[in-house]
Amino acid sequence: MTSVLDRSAPSAASPTPPKRRRRVAVVAGPWTYAALIAVLAGSAFPVYWSLVVSSQTPAAVDRVPPVLVPGGHLFANIARVFDTTDFALALMNSLVVAGTITVSVVFFSTLAGFAFAKLRFRGRSALMLLVVATQAVPTELGVIPLYMMMSDFGWAGEIHAVIVPGLVTAFGVFFMRQYFERAVPDELLEAGRMDGCSSLRLYWHVVLPAARPAAAVLGLFTFMQAWNDFFWPLVVLVPENPTVQTALSTLASGYTTDYTLVLTAATIGTVPVLLVFLLFGRQIVGGIMQGALKG
Amino acid sequence: MRTDWRERRHRWDIRYAPYAYIAPYFLLFAVFGLFPLLYTAWVSLHDRNLLDGDSATFVGLENYAQLLTADPYFWNAMGNTLSLWVLTTVPQIALALGIAQLLNRRIRTRTLFRMGVLLPNITSVAAVTIIFAQLFGRDFGLINWVLELFGAGRIDWQAGTASSHVAIATMVVWRWTGYHALIFLASMQAIPSSVYEAARLDGANSWQQFWRITVPMLRPQIIFSTVIATAGNMRLLAEPLLFNPGAAAATGGSDRQFQTAALYLYEQGFAKYDFGYASAIAWLLLVATVLITGLSYLAARRIRTD
Amino acid sequence: MRRTTRAAVPLLGVGLLAASLVAGCGSGAAGGKTRITIGLFGNFGYQQLFEEYEKAHPDIDITDRTASYSDHHKNLAAHLATNNGAADIEAVDTGYINQFKTNPDRFVELDASRKDQWLDWKWEASLSKDGKQIGYGTDVGGLAICYRRDFLEQAGLPTERDQVSALWPTWEDFMAKGREFQAKAPAGVKWFDGGPSLLNAIVGQAPTGYYDRDDKIVVGSNTDIKRGWDLVAKGVADGLSAGLLYSTPAWNTGFKQGQFATVICPAWQMAKIKDQAPDTAGKWDLAAVPGGGGGNWGGSYLTVPKQGKNTEKAIELATWLTAPEQQAKVFASAGLLPSAPKLYSEQSVASKTDPFFNNAPVGKVFTDAAQALKPQYQGPKAGDVQTELGNAMLRVEQGKQGPEESWTQFVGDAEKLAK
Repeated sequence: MTSVLDRSAPSAASPTPPKRRRRVAVVAGPWTYAALIAVLAGSAFPVYWSLVVSSQTPAAVDRVPPVLVPGGHLFANIARVFDTTDFALALMNSLVVAGTITVSVVFFSTLAGFAFAKLRFRGRSALMLLVVATQAVPTELGVIPLYMMMSDFGWAGEIHAVIVPGLVTAFGVFFMRQYFERAVPDELLEAGRMDGCSSLRLYWHVVLPAARPAAAVLGLFTFMQAWNDFFWPLVVLVPENPTVQTALSTLASGYTTDYTLVLTAATIGTVPVLLVFLLFGRQIVGGIMQGALKG
Repeated sequence: MRTDWRERRHRWDIRYAPYAYIAPYFLLFAVFGLFPLLYTAWVSLHDRNLLDGDSATFVGLENYAQLLTADPYFWNAMGNTLSLWVLTTVPQIALALGIAQLLNRRIRTRTLFRMGVLLPNITSVAAVTIIFAQLFGRDFGLINWVLELFGAGRIDWQAGTASSHVAIATMVVWRWTGYHALIFLASMQAIPSSVYEAARLDGANSWQQFWRITVPMLRPQIIFSTVIATAGNMRLLAEPLLFNPGAAAATGGSDRQFQTAALYLYEQGFAKYDFGYASAIAWLLLVATVLITGLSYLAARRIRTD
Repeated sequence: MRRTTRAAVPLLGVGLLAASLVAGCGSGAAGGKTRITIGLFGNFGYQQLFEEYEKAHPDIDITDRTASYSDHHKNLAAHLATNNGAADIEAVDTGYINQFKTNPDRFVELDASRKDQWLDWKWEASLSKDGKQIGYGTDVGGLAICYRRDFLEQAGLPTERDQVSALWPTWEDFMAKGREFQAKAPAGVKWFDGGPSLLNAIVGQAPTGYYDRDDKIVVGSNTDIKRGWDLVAKGVADGLSAGLLYSTPAWNTGFKQGQFATVICPAWQMAKIKDQAPDTAGKWDLAAVPGGGGGNWGGSYLTVPKQGKNTEKAIELATWLTAPEQQAKVFASAGLLPSAPKLYSEQSVASKTDPFFNNAPVGKVFTDAAQALKPQYQGPKAGDVQTELGNAMLRVEQGKQGPEESWTQFVGDAEKLAK
C-alpha cells in the first residue's frame, strides 16, 4: 500500500501546473476509426436491439430471421407498461433513491478520500487496506440479517431501507483516494497549511474544487449503480412500492414471457439514466480532458 | 491567548480531524456491512432452517467441514467462480486498456466515442441479462442465427460449461469494459508529453511506449480497476441466475455448469432454506474473494514503475 | 454563486433524504379502508373477484402483489423468516407447501370444519404434522394432453380428440405414435416439448412418488419412476423431444413458435397457452392423458401468515376466494380447475367448452381427470426433488450424460436432500 501512497505524479513536482497542456496525441488513422466504430457498434447494439423489441408486437419477436428494425408499437407498449404496473411510482422511487445515494456517496467519499490521500494519521495504511477489503464484502450475502435489522427499524418495504445502506461505498472512498493522490499536489496543501488553513478549509477550498471532475465521474457511476441495484431492493421492497428494477422483475413474472413488455419497461427505465448521462456525461468527459488531472 | 487557541485547534486538526473525515464511512459500514457479516458468521456455526430460527442447534465448524471435505457441488461452484473471474476480469482490463489507448488519440467526435463506450454501463443488470439471454437463445437467438449464416453450427449456450461461461462473461465484459476504459483514459491524459518525447528521442516505437510508459504510469488505476473488477466478478449472482430463469434457476444449469459460489449460496439459503449452511458458504466466499483480490492487488502492483 | 452551489449539494442531500423519509410511509389503512394485501404469482384469475369483493365490502381495499414464481416464494421465505413484510394473504404453490407446512406456527391455523369443501388429498397436502391447516386450496392441476391439430394432420395422424385419445392408452403407445409422427413431421416440430414435463406427469400418476408415507425419499427403489425415466430417455434419444425445460422463457417461446405437437396440460396450462401464444387460437385441442388418467401437477393454496395486521379480515377474504362459488367463477374465466369436488357435477363447470381449444369440452375432460385422480403423498422436499429430476433429464437432452449416468446422479442428489 505504502508504495502506492508514496508515488506522486511526475509533474506534481511543479506546484503550478502549466496552463495549457500540450499532449502528445497520436492523430487517429482510419484503423483507429474502424476499431472505435466497431467498439461503439458493439456497445450500442444490445441497447438498440432492446429498443427494436420494445417497438414490436409480441408476435414479431423470436422470428427467424430476426427482426432488426423498429416497428410502430412503442407507444402502445409504453401504455401497457403503465397500465400493468405503477411504473410512475417506480420511477419516482428510483429517482429519490439514486439521487440521495449519489449526493451522499460523493460527499463522504471526497472527505474520506482526501483524508486517506493527503492527511497523515496513525493507522492510515491499515485503515485504507480495510476499506479495500470491505470492497470485497459481498453485501447481498448478508441479506437476511440486514433484512432483520430493517424490520426492527420499521423500514422493511420502505425506500429508506434501500437508501441508507448505500450512503457510503468502499468503492467511492477508494476511487477518490486514488484520484487525490495525483490530482492535488502536496505542495499546494503545504502552502495552505502555512497560511494557517484548517484541514476542513483545505478540503473546501482546495480539494473539493480539484475533485470536481472525479466527483462528477463518481457521481455518475454511483447514480447508475444505485439506479440499477436489483437484488437488495427485490428482497426488502414490496411490489406496491417498487423501484424501476423491482417493477421490471414483476413484469417479467408470471406464466408467460412477454419480451416486448419487459424490454419496453427496461427501455423506459433507462431513459432517466440516459438523461443524467447526456447532461453530465459531456461535462465529465470534457472535465477529464480539461487538465483537471494536472499533468 | 488567541494564538494559543489557534495552536490547540491546529493540533487537534492535525491529530483528530482525519478520523472525523473517515468516520462516516466506517460507522455506516459497521452498521450495515459488518453487523450482518458477523451475524452470518454466528449463524454459520449452527444447523438452522431459514424459517425456523428457534430450533437452531450449535454445530461448531460442521458446516465448514462438510463444505470443504464432502461437498463436490461447493467445489464445482468455486471452480466456476474462478473460471468466470478469469474470463471476465482479464478481458475487461485488457480491452479497456486498448480502448483507452484508441480514445487517447486525436479523434474527431471524441465525445461521441467516449460516451458511447460507457453506454452499456447505464443499462441495468436485469435488462442486460434478459437481452443477452435472448441473444444467446438456442433456437431463436440472434447469435446462433449469425453463426448459422456463416456456416457454423448452432450452439446450445446454456448446455456446455465453456459455452455458458463465455455467454455469462460476455454480459459482464460488455457491461463494464467501457467503464474501466474511461478510468484509464482519464489518467492517460495526465501523462505529460515530455515523457513520450524523451522516449521517442530514445527511439522507442509506439508499442514500446505503451508498455514502458503508459502502463507503468497507469499503475494506480490498473490496481484500482483490477481490485474493483475482481471484487465484483467473484460474486456474480444476477447474471447466472437470470441467464436460466425458471424453477431450476438456482442450480445454474442442468449439471450446475454455471452455478457460481454466490448462486450456490442463494440455492442453499433461498431454495433449500438451509440458513446455516448458506452462511458458511458466504464466509468461505468472502475469504476466497479477499484472497483473490489481495493476489490481484499484489500482481497489479508488480507492474514496473519505470 | 459558486459558493452557494457547493453548499447546496449537501443540503440537497439532506433534503432528499428527508423527503424519502416522509414519502412512501405506507400504512395498513387507505382512506379509512382496511387494506388487505395478497401475494400471488402467475395468473390466479382473481382480478374480477377482487372488484366484486370490494363492492360488497366497502371498507376493504385489496392490493395484489404479483411476482415471478421463484421471487414470490423466495421473498415469502425471507418474510416468514424475519417475521415481517409478508402480505396478509400469501399464495403457495404445491411445490413449496410441504416446506412451509413444517413451520405451521408462522401461519394462522385455518378452520378445520370447512374440510369437506375440498378434495381429501388437497386438504391433507397443506396439513401440518400436528394437524394444523395452513392453507386453503385454490386449484388443482388434473392432467390432459394439449395437442396441435394442424401438426397431427400434416403428419397423417387423426385429429379428432376421441380418436387422438385412443392413440395412446399407455405412455408406451404415446412414444410409439411419436415415432410415427416424427417420421412425417413438419420441419422444426417435435412430438413433445421436453422430457422433464412428461416425467412430471408420469411421476404424478404413480401411486407413490418421491417419498413414502414416512417421509423417506424412495426414488432409488421406485420402479414406476425408473420405468418412466427409461421410456422418456428413449423418446429423447429417438429425437421426439424439443428439449425445452418447462417454465422457462424458451419453453414459452416454444408455444408461440409451434416447436412441439403435444404438451402435458394441467388445467392451468391452458390459461398459459392462451396468454403466451394468442395467435395459435383454434389450432389446439385437448385429449386424455396416457396411463389411464389421474395424476396431478401443480395447483396452489392461500395461506394467512400470522405476522399480518389484519388476519381476521384476511381469513375472511381467503375463505371467500376459495369457496366453491368463486372457484367456479375462476374456472369459467381462467380455466383453473377447482379443488372443490362438488363442482365437478355442476352443469356450469362440467359443460364448459373452450373455443381456443377448438371447442374442446374442457369441463368434462378435467372433471373426469380430477375424479380419476389417485392422491399421491408429497414429502417435505418434493419440489426440490422434482427440480433435480428435471435437471437430470435435461442433462440427457443436452447430451451431457447418458441416461444411466444421469439417473445415478439424480438418485444421489435426491437422497442428499433428505439430510
